[in-house]
Amino acid sequence: MEALTNLLLGFSVALTPGNLFWCFVGVFLGTVVGILPGLGPAATIAMLLPLTFKMDHTAAIIMLAGIYYGSKYGGSTTSILLNVPGESASVVTCLDGYQMARQGRAGPALGISAIASFVAGTVGVIGLMLIAPPVARFALRFGPPEYFALMVLGLTMVVFLAGRSMIKGLLAMLVGLWLAGVGTDLFTAESRFTFGHMELLDGIDFVVVSIGIFAVAEVMVNMESRGGAELFRVPRGIRNLMPTLKDLKDCRFAFLNGSVIGFLIGVLPGAGSTIASFLSYGAEKAFSRYPEKFGTGVIEGVAAPEGANNSETGGALVPLLTLGIPGSNATAILLAALILWGIKPGPLLIQDHPALFWGLVSSMYVGNVMLLVLNLPLVPLFAQILRVPYFILYPGILGISVVGVYSVSNSLFDVWMLGLFGILGYAMRKLDFPAAPLVLGMVLGDGMERALRQSLMMSQGHLSVIVTRPLSATMICLALAILIMPLVNKVRSFRLKAVEQDV
Amino acid sequence: MKRSWYCLLLITSGLVLSGTGDFAHAAAFEPTKPIEAVVHTGPGGGSDIFARAIAELMQKEKTISQRMQVVNKSGGGSAVAMSYLVEKKGDTHTIGFFTGVWVTNPLTTAAAKVMISDLTPIVRLVLEPAVFAVKADSPYKTMKDFIDAAKRNPNQLKQSGGSITGRDNLVRLVIEKATGAKWVFVSFPSGGERIANLLGGHVDAMVIEPQEAGEHIKAGNMRVIAALTDKRLPSFPNVPTLKEQGIDVPVIPQARGILAPPGVPKEVILYWEGVFERFVKSAGWKQYLEQNQFEDGYLKGPALNKFFDELAVKMREVLKEAGAKVVR
Repeated sequence: MEALTNLLLGFSVALTPGNLFWCFVGVFLGTVVGILPGLGPAATIAMLLPLTFKMDHTAAIIMLAGIYYGSKYGGSTTSILLNVPGESASVVTCLDGYQMARQGRAGPALGISAIASFVAGTVGVIGLMLIAPPVARFALRFGPPEYFALMVLGLTMVVFLAGRSMIKGLLAMLVGLWLAGVGTDLFTAESRFTFGHMELLDGIDFVVVSIGIFAVAEVMVNMESRGGAELFRVPRGIRNLMPTLKDLKDCRFAFLNGSVIGFLIGVLPGAGSTIASFLSYGAEKAFSRYPEKFGTGVIEGVAAPEGANNSETGGALVPLLTLGIPGSNATAILLAALILWGIKPGPLLIQDHPALFWGLVSSMYVGNVMLLVLNLPLVPLFAQILRVPYFILYPGILGISVVGVYSVSNSLFDVWMLGLFGILGYAMRKLDFPAAPLVLGMVLGDGMERALRQSLMMSQGHLSVIVTRPLSATMICLALAILIMPLVNKVRSFRLKAVEQDV
Repeated sequence: MKRSWYCLLLITSGLVLSGTGDFAHAAAFEPTKPIEAVVHTGPGGGSDIFARAIAELMQKEKTISQRMQVVNKSGGGSAVAMSYLVEKKGDTHTIGFFTGVWVTNPLTTAAAKVMISDLTPIVRLVLEPAVFAVKADSPYKTMKDFIDAAKRNPNQLKQSGGSITGRDNLVRLVIEKATGAKWVFVSFPSGGERIANLLGGHVDAMVIEPQEAGEHIKAGNMRVIAALTDKRLPSFPNVPTLKEQGIDVPVIPQARGILAPPGVPKEVILYWEGVFERFVKSAGWKQYLEQNQFEDGYLKGPALNKFFDELAVKMREVLKEAGAKVVR
């Protein structure tokens, strides 16, 4: 009941014309930023911060938050159409999204990603509204051992990403883990694998690797086969450009899975949306009736990670607003904005500024509807990009990739690295190594190593700390189960074969 | 004829004189395009947020005529930003925001070749005070309780913090050396994780800024057991300093301020000194200091150079004793 009165207060704030306008500005900018690879929500919010000093604080936070969750909508567009991941969290979307586009189903892929974003984004806000304080307290139980177990669980997703050869998948993952190790070691301030390059002291940016391996390699492979001018079939008619009822039905579980996993991972300050999207893709594949089809253009493979990616936003705001703890770069800037305006973010924010908190929550419901309305009509428009002949499209992709990578930290060094990873990606494609496990290893490697070393520092070097704590033990068991499952399946199919041969 | 020569002489000398007059006028530097303000963190990092706040305040207080644009040059601790400033040698429209990391990073990182003495210091603006905090239900009510417990069980207590060359860890090292107690320092990259691990009971203590601690104390989550400053903090009048609690260790400052690329003309330095002299007197700045509970650390000229020199000496000593690899 209390939530209802609060929500009424919130909507009375969010639905004023001024706040509606700023909400629209925020989600619109967010969508644009999401579509452009490289430039992320954190940088955009930082750039727009000066504008907000003259604004009403509630309107300002509504707009800035709009940029944050709005950018998650746009991130999938280039992943699906061009195999260029717009944000780190949309790497997984490339796997099935781009395959769908190749089969002429770019429209349904873009459509389902908008719908999944809407559903999960809304679920995330509901979570933020109803269960924020208890969930935040639960998240505090995650210490380094729990994070380590979570990262191990994340790494087991390689089972679902490896494709035909598990050994090649594991090798790619190891390369990813190694790449994650490049840079300055947090614990000893020692530089590792930097070869005297100052630019490598902070490690290799994830965006550089993923755009290189996915987009640049894709262009190289396609340039090799000088096929016809028409690249993809883009069916005409609005009916073929939208997800069908069957598509929606297929994605029921993906919506739910993405929403829940995204929200829960989002609440943890040390995890992030990329892990959320990988985990929900893995979960979707694990419980699918046709797991073997994943990676060939299955619509659930787009819906689940895109959902998780958006639901994560609601989750990430939980520790920020209930404890004053930022979970990501973008939320750190939101926190800074609050401080600059003279509002003290922290455990008492909801009590002290109810209109701001509930106004923000309500505006996120409104913003998600706006994003759906904004994005669905764009689907047929974006799908037309694929009609562009290859001699324009491929240089275009390369251009977008270079600009995107350069914009991350305005460094030409990163552009050279992009070329290097493009070549690596090309070699991997030729030798039939899957790219996703490499990215997975790179995303998780850093956090996993850190969590392990933090755990060992806490336990004076005893590994037992990871299995004696109930939460981490549970996750490790789950990880083991995922690793053993394919082996069991293999033995079973081997036996079946043996039986058939006997007959 | 002679007269005309005389006339010409008059005219030319007049021209020369007016010319020098013009020249003297031009010597008072005034920026003609937006100022590039270089920070060593990405958007949302401590230095980034500080620089954006200053840029905004300066515009509000109308202390500069041009816009100040924050440029993020993150990487290598502070190495990328520092060498970027060296590349901008002589550039009159570029400044950098330094922190203590700009002093310590080149000491421990071989690849970070630019020292702060290679750049042109302008002003120090703030000193960020810090406090030593434990969880609200922790058994440690004073620093002595904590130290005694750490002595009874060496390396059992844990402190969360950032990089081992950061202030959090240096504070631990000097206290350990003075008292003989030993506890573990666990690094977490983000401030959020450091607090979350304290509140979750995974670590026992942390070094935190007073403004941040204030909110958690109000909510009943945290307790402050020592001020890591020379004098007691106005916001925590009941919390004694380390020295008052019998632990006589050097205070490790966290400073923030402005510097320029190497080789900028004297006029530019004078210009910035003038700008900041007016700025630190403004009401907006005073309010900002109070809100963030920063200490006014205004310092310029030779005093600032001396501050950097002494800080480098002190840090080298502390780092060496801590067993960190000091490369310079």
